[in-house]
Parts: sequence; structure tokens; C-alpha cells
Amino acid sequence: MSNEDVEAIPPSSSPAMLDETTKEYLFSTDEGTLSKASAEAQVPTAHLDIGPEGLSFYNMDLYESRERLDIFTEELSSSRTEDEQFTAMEDSNESRPRTEEEEYDLYTAEVSEMARQYGIWDDKEDMEMGFQTQEPFVMVTQKQEPAVLDIKTWGEEPVKGEPKERGAGEKRDSIHKTPAVDEGGSMEHHEPCYPSEGDEPQSHEQYVGQRQYSEEAFKEEEWEEEGSQAMKASRGDTQIGEFVGFSAKTQEDLTMDMDNPEDAFRASEHTHDLEEEQPGAQAGGEDEVPDVFCMECKIAIRAFDKVFGSHKDHQVTKLSIAAEDTKVEIHKTMCKLEEQIAQMENFASHLEEIFITVEENFGRQEQNLEQHYNEVIQTLTQRYEDKTSGLEDEKKQKLEKLYSQLVNCGKTLDISKDLIEAAQEICRNEDKLAFLQVAVPTVERIEEYTASDPDLKLSASLEFENDAIDFSDVRQMMDSINIVPAPSAPVINPQTPNSSTSTSVRVCWSLFSDDTVEYYELYYKPVLEGTTADENEEQDASMVKVKETYCTVLNLVPNTQYKFWVTALNTTGISPASERAVYMTVPSPPVIKKKLCRSCPNAALIRWESGNTNPVDSYTVELCEISRERSETAVTESIVGIPTYESVIQLLSGRSYLIYVRAVNIGGPSERSDPVIIYTTGTFFRLNEDTAHPSLAISEDGFTMFYGDEYTELNDITFSDNTFSRCVAIMGELIPIRGKHYWEVEVEEHTEYRIGVAYEDTQRNGYLGANNTSWCMRHVMTPSRHKYEFLHNGSTPDIRITMHPKRIGVSLDYETGKLAFFNTGLSQHIYTYKCHFLHYVHPCFALEKPGALTVHNGIEAPEYITFS
Amino acid sequence: MALTQVSSNKCFDGFQKVFEHDSTELKCKMRFGIYLPPKAESGKCPVLYWLSGLTCTEQNFITKAGSQQEAAEHGIIIVCPDTSPRGCNIEGEDESWDFGTGAGFYVNATEDQWKVNYRMYSYITEELPHLISSNFPADSERMSISGHSMGGHGALICALKNPGKYKSVSAFAPICNPMQCPWGQKAFNGYLGSDKSKWESYDATVLVSAYSGPQLDILIDQGRDDQFLAAGQLLPDNFIAACTEKKTPVVFRLQQGYDHSYYFVCSFISNHIKHHAKYLNA
Repeated sequence: MSNEDVEAIPPSSSPAMLDETTKEYLFSTDEGTLSKASAEAQVPTAHLDIGPEGLSFYNMDLYESRERLDIFTEELSSSRTEDEQFTAMEDSNESRPRTEEEEYDLYTAEVSEMARQYGIWDDKEDMEMGFQTQEPFVMVTQKQEPAVLDIKTWGEEPVKGEPKERGAGEKRDSIHKTPAVDEGGSMEHHEPCYPSEGDEPQSHEQYVGQRQYSEEAFKEEEWEEEGSQAMKASRGDTQIGEFVGFSAKTQEDLTMDMDNPEDAFRASEHTHDLEEEQPGAQAGGEDEVPDVFCMECKIAIRAFDKVFGSHKDHQVTKLSIAAEDTKVEIHKTMCKLEEQIAQMENFASHLEEIFITVEENFGRQEQNLEQHYNEVIQTLTQRYEDKTSGLEDEKKQKLEKLYSQLVNCGKTLDISKDLIEAAQEICRNEDKLAFLQVAVPTVERIEEYTASDPDLKLSASLEFENDAIDFSDVRQMMDSINIVPAPSAPVINPQTPNSSTSTSVRVCWSLFSDDTVEYYELYYKPVLEGTTADENEEQDASMVKVKETYCTVLNLVPNTQYKFWVTALNTTGISPASERAVYMTVPSPPVIKKKLCRSCPNAALIRWESGNTNPVDSYTVELCEISRERSETAVTESIVGIPTYESVIQLLSGRSYLIYVRAVNIGGPSERSDPVIIYTTGTFFRLNEDTAHPSLAISEDGFTMFYGDEYTELNDITFSDNTFSRCVAIMGELIPIRGKHYWEVEVEEHTEYRIGVAYEDTQRNGYLGANNTSWCMRHVMTPSRHKYEFLHNGSTPDIRITMHPKRIGVSLDYETGKLAFFNTGLSQHIYTYKCHFLHYVHPCFALEKPGALTVHNGIEAPEYITFS
Repeated sequence: MALTQVSSNKCFDGFQKVFEHDSTELKCKMRFGIYLPPKAESGKCPVLYWLSGLTCTEQNFITKAGSQQEAAEHGIIIVCPDTSPRGCNIEGEDESWDFGTGAGFYVNATEDQWKVNYRMYSYITEELPHLISSNFPADSERMSISGHSMGGHGALICALKNPGKYKSVSAFAPICNPMQCPWGQKAFNGYLGSDKSKWESYDATVLVSAYSGPQLDILIDQGRDDQFLAAGQLLPDNFIAACTEKKTPVVFRLQQGYDHSYYFVCSFISNHIKHHAKYLNA
């Protein structure tokens, strides 16, 4: 339910949320959450029946169509007919006439029965509330009782009904009938509100009893559908096409609502039943049964019509075939619809994501814009204030200057006037001498005064200073409104598992969410031992530009550490560099040394080379069992954390395995090596040619040894410590497992040989069997007979065998301390040593005279060796 | 063919029993020991017939050889008949230890005096198996035979004269070539008469040369310090030579320090039971 809610309630700012529909939407949401306050008590019913969560949301949209509504109302209108039909059926079943009320009671009882079975309507409060509010509708419903049938037949009808309400508000009334009808179903709990409730509980029981009714919900549905089928059919041939559509719907509903495919299957079968039921149902309405299907008119007709009726020249087909075909078509349509639903679901969820992203982005942009405009306005205000105060200052200054100039002018005028007055005064003096005596200094004074020109220039200019206002910075700010700040340093993530290959790593980082980044520059360089200084780091680092917050850097060296750091850039600038993160490429795959691998029925020893120059942390061995049935080889077991170049792996006997090795460092595991195939049918080992006596030649396949005729000068031969120097022998390399081992040796009748086992450190200058570190069967030819010895510590029991083995089986069992020899051709047990092997032993082979021995291993030990 | 139980003792979860019955072949009361392994309680088991040596009764093997543990393990019934008819009141019957009572030599006597009772060959190969399979949970299809000394001779000739009847055969210090040794000559002369051609049909070394049938896998243990080996009574070399010639597989083990006694037998009886089990339980 909760999921459904999430699906059904888009973010409050959903673009789809037009004011008009908001209410509707919330309404349906309420229903979805079990509608405590909702009038639609039926809605939980529907939701409970819905199978896949979240589907309902899209169902609403998908089935939100006029057609559906049309069908619905049509059925309502045709309900009377259906009812009659239904009653007829009832009668035929029970030969008991029944009133309409009773019928309705039946339906009601049935619906409520179903409701109970579906485990719904347990919330009485809800129901009551719903009932009270829906009372008027109950009345309506009562008159259109077959609608109940309809609704139940339609299965999840209420769910489909919901979107109708949402999408088509004007249809509300008719839609409200749906809940009302379902309310009617539960009516028996609210008798007083129901006009014909008097005998209802009783009739319910009666009904159950009479019909031998199964309590199974499915059957009820089936029965109901039969009924509806019948009524559909009774609407006449013209309805059949629609009916087909209807049953498709029904089927689809069932299919979608049942998680269980079995149920779905049953449901489809069920539909099939219905269709087969159809002719019979129709028979109730007409006397004659249609027996063929007119291909052109798409209806069932009587064969009679084909010959004589309106379908005379039409192509017809058998009803069963027609039904089958139609079913196939329906099924196809259904499939298509299901696909569409799936697609739409995907698309819708995608849209939702986009929606959220777009919303967020715009929100961020708005914020950004606001911030920037605020800045600009602030700046302008500041500028205005600066400017106005500047103007004020200038005005004051200029006025002061002008004033002082004015004052000076006044003074000059006064002086000039005084001088004129003084001159006039002098001129009025009649006394020439006095005049002259006075006039001369006065004239001098005037001349002196007039000598200096009066200053007539304006002391202050009339022009404004700085009248050009500089808006460039404001313009820049305006321009930069769309430019985001330079990003902050990204955060580089540490290496995650499986993020690297031997030549590439995938580096991830993140940025602070407010930052806008155009691209990143990812720098990297290998971490070299001994260089600690960080200086000059950028210089020899490689760099890639990426738009994403991750990058797969290619062409790196395997098993190497690289330092990575990243900077973010946008048009504004570049961020500081992130922290340095060390990523490591995974190693190159190891190389299995196939020639050094050995196995036995319950284990294998795998050896390999690193494949890397630098050491790796560990190795992982992976096993795939090869089975005959399955071609795919999934890894069945992994052994991790192997520090060395070899590992003994426990296996099951009689199987085949592909074994791979991976090298692992902190960057993760390498690709897997080429596989080695191990068969655990028997013990498999190879001869250790390092131990071979110089006279012994080994075949190319490594399993046959030859002691040639030509005489070798032993003095010319240099022996290594590991080489048999006296006995012409070679040692095999058995897997160090204290289990059971078996191998065979092919010999010639006259070959003189020693075959057995020895400790790894057995004396190289002694004969096999001559010491207490080796055990061997010896065959020599005496003049009289073949002699077989079973040597250990130089002594042998006296054993005679009458048949000379061509192939000797050697069985080694550490647990029982037995080393046994067999003539495999005869399944004959020849001899068994009983000894406690203190250390691991290895197979040994020696030739006493020129000849050859061939080792056969990897073969299953025969049964008979257990009786030795 | 009524069987009378003489004794029954639990042994390694099975039972070591002794029965007495009236033999139709031997016209006397005969006893045999039978070890029923625990497996016999739930199903049919293969049978190993053990033929004892001179002077022995059914008791020697069951009391001395210590075969029961291995038999229990492999689910093998071991049947140990007596070595001759008893109480037939034939003249000279009890005169010597190497002829007559306790020395039936597993032949059907032809001499008048012995031919009524001394029919040990038929008793061992016919009457006794029939008796066992009809009274015990024995699988008549799976039987093997083994023996010691004279019984070793008996085991070899029974196997060689009835190709396929016995799945396997083994012997401890068998009288390999009775025609060539004093014991054999005395017995054959007494039971079969002087016609040596009759002897040949009871001589392992001769029989092996003429053998034709499923390949045998014969296991023979022989004590090196066996006084009868030194006395030329056993002659294994003759048999081995014949087998080598005929390419009949034999593993002959000359066990250092062992003599002819049941101490020797019990030392290697488990090897022999395993040898038989390999074929009986295959």
C-alpha cells in the first residue's frame, strides 16, 4: 500500500496537478491509504486485490477511458435483461421461482461473502461512514441491482473506476454508483438501511445451502462470471463482439491481479469455460443453438442461417475453432497491453525522475538569479548613493567658489567707485595747485589700480565633473548573472572493488551539489617507489578531460599504483585540486604451469607463475566442474587468499574440473588465467626428469622411459644431487595427499625392471628397494625362470607367479599403509606391502637392462584392488 | 536330509554352528561346521568350502584358523566338512592316520572295500552344496573352495575338475602332485587301485594341464619350514611348473619360517578370504 501511495502521489508541485484535478487526485490517494475519511469504502477492496504494487497507478491512466465508462453504463442499462436471464438460470438449476429481491439478496450475499474472503471490510468504522454518506446511492443501486453482478464480474472494477473519477469529474454521479453497489454488497451488516433486507441473512444461508456453494472465492467468481456471461449473451448477437472484448478484459484483470501464474492460467481457462458456456447461455434466450461462427459478421449463427439466412454467402467456421481463434487474438492483445503497461510504467518512472531533476534545477537557478540580482541592485544602490553624495559635494564646492568670487567682485566695484568718487572730488577742486598736488598721487593710484585687469573668469566651471557614469562593473555583474561561481574542489572517491582491470581503472569523484561544472580535469601518474616529493607533480602527470564524475582511464600498466586527482572547471574558473587518491590496476593473469599440476581422485595440486613483475597480494583459484549435462561452466568454488604459487585443492572424485587462477591486489582480482583441466578419475602425476639417470631417455609425452642399448661412459656424465646415479631410475611427482593412489605400468615380458615408491629423499646412489626408503617390485630373468622380488630394505618374500604381467597396477594407500601390486590383465593380486609411510612417497621406475617402461596414470583404480 | 544342530556359538555377530546329518553319499552320519556371517540374516551369502587336511575333523578349522572375523566382514559363509566318512566299520579304516578315517583324500573310491562309503569327492561337490543351499541362506551360484594340505589337494582338484563351479580357489600347503608323493600314492592305491590312469583324474598337477574353462586365479601359500615340503609330500614346484606351462595364473607365496600347522594357516587365512571375496563379491 505504501508503495502504491508513493507511486500515486507525485510531488506536490507535479505539473500534472492542475488545480481542478487536485482534489480528485487527493481523493483517490485517500482511498489508496485505506480511506479513513473517505466515502469510498469499496476502494480498499480493490486495492487489496491488486497484485503488482504500483501497477494501479498506471492502470488508472491506462484504463481511464471513455469506452470503459460506456461499457459500464451500458451494462447498467441492460441489467434488467441480465437479471432475467440470471433468474432463468437460477430457476433451471433449482426449479424454484425467486423474486427479484431475493436475487439481489443473493448477489449481495455473494458479494459480501467474497469481500469477507478477500479479507476486506474488516474496518467497520470505515464502512459505516461510507455507508452513511453513500446512502442515497444505495437506493439507486437497489434498483439497478445487476450492477453488483457487473462489478464483481469486472473484478477490480473499483480500481478502474477511480481514474474515471479523476479524469472525468462530470461523471461523478454514475461513478459513485460503483462504491454504492459494493456497499450494497455489505449491506447485510446494515440492515436498517436496506429496504429489502428482511430475510437477507437467511437468504444468504439458503443460498449457500441450495447451491452447495463452495467457499472458495475463485469458484464464486466463476459462478458469477457464468451469470454475467449468460446475461451478456442474452443481449443478442450484436453484443458478442463486445463480449469478446469484455472477457478479454476480465481475463486480463485476472491475470494482472494474480501474481501466481497458475492462477492466471486458471483464470484464462476460466475465460475459456465462459466462452464455451456462451452458446448454452444463449440457448436460454433463443430456442435454437447457434452452431457455426460467421467469419464476416463475427457472430455465432445457426448453420441454418448459413444456408438460407442473411449469412448465406458468408464464410463460416466451427464455433470451437472460432472460439479458439478469438482466444488467441485476445491473448495477443493482452500481451500487447501488458507490454504497453510495462513500457508506460518505465516511462512514467523515468518521467518522474526527470520531473524531480528539472524541478530542482530550476529551483537552483531561481535562487541563483535572485542572489545575483540582489547583488546588482545593491551595487546600483551603492553607486547611486556615491553619485548623489558626489554631486552634493561638487555643488557645494562650486557655489562656495562662485560666492567668494561674487564677494570679490563687489569689493572691486566698491574700490573702483571710491576711486571715481575720489577723482571727481579732485576734479571739483578749483584750486589748481591744490588740485595738482592732490591729483597726481590719485592719478597714480588709479593708474596703479587699473593696471591690473579685473578677473572676470568664472572660478567654477559650469560643467559637471564626472558626468559620465561608469556602469561597466554593473554591466559585468549583469552579464555574470548567468555565470555561476567557480566550483569548489571535487572529492575524489577511494578505489572501489572491481573498478579496475589490468590496464584501466574507473575513477569516481563527486562535487558539492551547488557547483556547476562544465568539465573536469583528471590528472594521474604512477606512484613510483622512492619519489616522495609532491613538487612538480603536475608536470609529468597525464590529464584527461571528462564531463562525468567518473572516468575509466585506459592504457595503464598492470599491477601498478596510480595517483589521481581531479579539478572541476566552468566558465568562471577552475577549482582547487581534489585530494590525491591512489588507485591500483589489477594484476595480469597468472600462468598455470600445466606440466607441474598433479591430481588424485580427491585433490589437485595447481602451480602457476605470477605473470606480474611486481608482487601481488594473493591468488585466487576458481573451480568449474564440467558436467556432461550442462555446457555452461559456472564457478563452483573459489579458494581465495593463496599467498604462494601453488595450492592443493580438495575435489570430488570422478569429476572433471576447469581450474583457473587469478592474481589479486588491492585493486581487485585479475582476469582469470588460461584454465587447466583436471580429471579426478585417478591419480595423475608426471615424471620428474631432473631425477632421471643420464642413461634414461624420456619420451616426448613424458610417460615412457627408455634405457638404450648404447653404452654410456658414466665418467663423462655429471650428476646433479637429484639424479639417480647408480640405478637407472626416475622418480615421479605424486601429489602430496595422504589418500589413495593408483597407477599402472606397461612392461614387456622380458623387461627387467623395478617399480615402486620411494621417499623423495631416497638415496640417489642406491638401488630401489635396497634401502628402507624405497619399496619396489623387481623383475629379473634368471636362466631358469622369471623372478619377481618385492624389495624393501634389501629383502624380499619368496613369491612365484606363473603368469608374467604385461601391465602392473600399483596401489598406494596411505591410510591403510598398503602398497599393492597387481597383474591388471588378470585382475590378479600379486603382493601387498604393509608399511607405515612416514613421509610422502613418489612413484619410482627403474630399468635393469635396456628396455622401456610406460606409465599410465589418471586411470580409475579397479574395484578389485580393495581385496588386497 | 534332516540336519541336527550340534552346537551354535555367536561369533563376530554371526554364528559358528556345527550340524550333523545322514549322508546319502557316504552312508554314515557326517558333521560339518558352518559359519553364518551377520549378513546371512538379511540375505543370501556366497559360500567358501574349506577342506581340511589329514587327521582333521570339522573342528580344526573352526577352532584354529580364525577365519570368522574376515568372513563376517565380507559376508561369506564358510562350510567345513569332515575329512572322511566315520564309523563305517571298514577293515583297516583306523589303522593309519594317513589312510581311512580322517584321510578320505576327496576322491570317490573305486575299490570294493571303500567304494560304498568313501565318496568324499561327490560328497563335497554335490551333496554338501545341495544340503547347504537348501538349508541356509546360501547363494549356490557363488561358491569358492580352499583347503589345507590334503584339503588343499581337494580344493585344487574340485576346482580343476569342475570348471566354473567355483569362482575361485586357494590352498595352504596343498599336496600338489599326489601321484608323485608317498601320501598320495598310498591313498590312491588304496581307494582307486593300482591303475595309475585313474589317479590322474585326482591329481592337480595333471588336471591343470588339461584344464579348460574360465580363467582361474589360484593363490597358494606355503610355509618354507614345512616339514612335509622338505619330505617331498607337497611338490608345489611341479604344480607351478605345470601352471606356468599352461599359463594358469598362480600366485605362490613361500612364507619364510612357517611350518605346516594351523598357526601358519591362521597367519594367512585373511589373505585367502579376501582373495575369495574378490571373486565371490564381485
